[in-house]
Amino acid sequence: MFKKFSSEDVSSQNQVKASVQRKIRQSIADEYPGLEPVLDDLLPKKSPLIVVKCQNHLNLVMVNNVPLFFNVRDGPYMPTLRLLHQYPDIMKKLQVDRGAIKFVLSGANIMCPGLTSPGGALDDDALAETPVAIMAEGKKHALAIGFTKMSAKDIRAINKGIGVDNMHYLNDGLWKMERLE
Amino acid sequence: MAEKPQPVRVLYCPVCSLPAEYCEFGPDFEKCKPWLIENAPELYPDLLKDRNNKQVDKVSEQLQSVGISSGGGDVAATVIPSGGTSTSKQEEVKRLPGGKIKKKEKQEIIIEKIVRNKRKCVTVVKGLDLFGIKLSDASKKLGKKFATGASVVKGPTEKEQIDVQGDIAYDIMEFITETWPDVPETAIYFIEDGRKVAAA
Ligand SMILES: [Zn+2]
Repeated sequence: MFKKFSSEDVSSQNQVKASVQRKIRQSIADEYPGLEPVLDDLLPKKSPLIVVKCQNHLNLVMVNNVPLFFNVRDGPYMPTLRLLHQYPDIMKKLQVDRGAIKFVLSGANIMCPGLTSPGGALDDDALAETPVAIMAEGKKHALAIGFTKMSAKDIRAINKGIGVDNMHYLNDGLWKMERLE
Repeated sequence: MAEKPQPVRVLYCPVCSLPAEYCEFGPDFEKCKPWLIENAPELYPDLLKDRNNKQVDKVSEQLQSVGISSGGGDVAATVIPSGGTSTSKQEEVKRLPGGKIKKKEKQEIIIEKIVRNKRKCVTVVKGLDLFGIKLSDASKKLGKKFATGASVVKGPTEKEQIDVQGDIAYDIMEFITETWPDVPETAIYFIEDGRKVAAA
């Protein structure tokens, strides 16, 4: 989604009304209860929350010029990788084997066998259609944010085709947009 | 508030921007190696072995003279002048760990207009950083001056550039030379129809 993303895909940047700001905060708090204690630091009530609208119905949530979350249409908010790296335990984790790393980092979606092979790992609680952190064999930090096409159990059982859509990965356009002025 | 989770500090590579453990999958692992040897040898034990083997031919000394920045957020490895040698910046030669010699980049600014979606266009400015200009700063100034969006992005060769929305290619030169008098007009080039044309 962010493969060729850059500031020119931005169509508008708006400070949202307090009511919308509250709604966004609430959705994020519901989706990531682990973030609740630090939510006031991440999205300070007093700092303006900017919603950046981009092409393809993509929105970024930004504070102080730093993109922190993104979503598509009204879909769930997902953290940027830089944010996830700071709070790695807020998402369920799926792990790809080492062989899959370079494909994930070129933007490919994540195939089931890369998750079920000996180097892979699955959190059995991960449901279908949810944001997850994509980890990698032998690495400490996440390399992508995914959106599951099927549950972890189905990934294991079906074991073919795309298991997780690759939403955002290291060195894609959103990664490179550390700040948006 | 004692149970507040502390943010994890990830070691990012200032060369390729990825977490250091992913440099090996990054755009140019070779370029990351000198920094990794100094700052994250435990992640790539083989690199250290390689270097120790080569120490005989003074590779380590070369590395020191390239000046490896001690981490932090800077994207480009800072070049620290070594031992009082006063080589001029343009002629500085980087020696890569493999012993290859790499010429230091020429100090020039490249301005290119890129047309997207027929009507939208972006003016790309590359090279301001080579004159010691802070890109985030420059980007702000450009955005303000031309009342448009400007942002620092990584270009296709992983170097940072400024993208300014709109066609401002011809006003920008004047602005650059006025704002940063250190930049000579002769160092500014436009890309026109794929050719590099001197602006002055
Ligand atoms: Zn690197």
